[in-house]
Amino acid sequence: MDESQLIARVRAGDSAAERALYDAHVDRVYRLAFRLAGDDALAQDFTQETFIRAFDRLGSFRGEAAFSTWLHTITTTVVLNGLRKVKRFRQRETDIDDAREIGITHRHAEPDLKVRMRQAIEALPDGYRTVFLMHDVEGYTHEEIGAALGVETGTSKAQLSRARAKLRVALADFAGEWTT
Amino acid sequence: MMDEHEDPKFEAWLRKAAGSYHSPLPTPREELWKRIEAARRAKPVIALRPWMRWVVAAAAMLALGIGIGRWTVNQSAVRNGTVVATTDTAQDQASQAAQPDIAYQVAATQYLSRTEAFLTSFRADRGANHEANRARLASQARDLLTTTRLMLDSPAGDNQRMRALLEDLELVLVQISQLDAAHTGHDADLINQGMNQTNVLPKLRSAIPAGPVPVRTQGAL
Repeated sequence: MDESQLIARVRAGDSAAERALYDAHVDRVYRLAFRLAGDDALAQDFTQETFIRAFDRLGSFRGEAAFSTWLHTITTTVVLNGLRKVKRFRQRETDIDDAREIGITHRHAEPDLKVRMRQAIEALPDGYRTVFLMHDVEGYTHEEIGAALGVETGTSKAQLSRARAKLRVALADFAGEWTT
Repeated sequence: MMDEHEDPKFEAWLRKAAGSYHSPLPTPREELWKRIEAARRAKPVIALRPWMRWVVAAAAMLALGIGIGRWTVNQSAVRNGTVVATTDTAQDQASQAAQPDIAYQVAATQYLSRTEAFLTSFRADRGANHEANRARLASQARDLLTTTRLMLDSPAGDNQRMRALLEDLELVLVQISQLDAAHTGHDADLINQGMNQTNVLPKLRSAIPAGPVPVRTQGAL
């Protein structure tokens, strides 16, 4: 059965078809949510919310784009909105922690690539980070990213290029690993 | 032709090294499916027959009319109370207690009206020099975005419906604020599509009390 038939059956109230549609897409939705959120509980919440919205709004899916593109638009909206709320909440906590830690010296040099990579990716502006993770880590095309984020393909390409440039500078200590 | 910034060796290394960033766990399929089913069961779903839609629409119109009527009466009462308060201590205290709520109502109404006007002008921005207007729109969006975030953190954000609307508006304003003159009209089209999908303008309009702005806020302060 092709996907359009599956969607028609879901619209007709077939619960087995709902499960089949879920099974076909849940891995990619969860992976993207996890990559962006970095937390299993948040990734599960975002995946759950994505599928609830998708099933509720399936009537508005007109089939002009692929179902996966439509679903990933919902995923990125849910994840980015959710992360913004979390970030705002955490920022308040961080402000309090910063006030407590005035005068404490931190060691910034970190020889471990994994840690440095995490720091470098998290220092990217949100838009660059999202595009970089979707394209270079999760393998989405620029067309898929553009559709999911509501930006042009050219914008996605430009943001990826700028993200890579920033990462190259941030990870310059490891230049020996890619020049040899 | 290769872009001057391209470096296939670096990109290959980066892709491989970044794979460890937030490396996902195996998908908890069954657990997630149970949660989704449970959440969907908990949501009341009412399938409306065509004739029922008319009944619901009529009831909604009636409720809206009653709501507007009550709101108007409350505004008159508050206005009268403020005038009489100069001679009556008890009424003076009641009026002072009501002031913060009224102030937020006025601020919310003015903000919503400004945002509605802005989004309407954004949608209509298809003139010959709309590219030149883009920077101005982005700047206005940033101003409104600041107000939106203040509103979200104010008592106005305690109301669930208002909060949902403010969050939708925040998303749209963020997108508009990131537009610049170098972008083509396609970005604006995508924002418009997003606004259509979330029905943000109809929701915004239904949240604004009827009448021109001076009438909506008249006598409240």
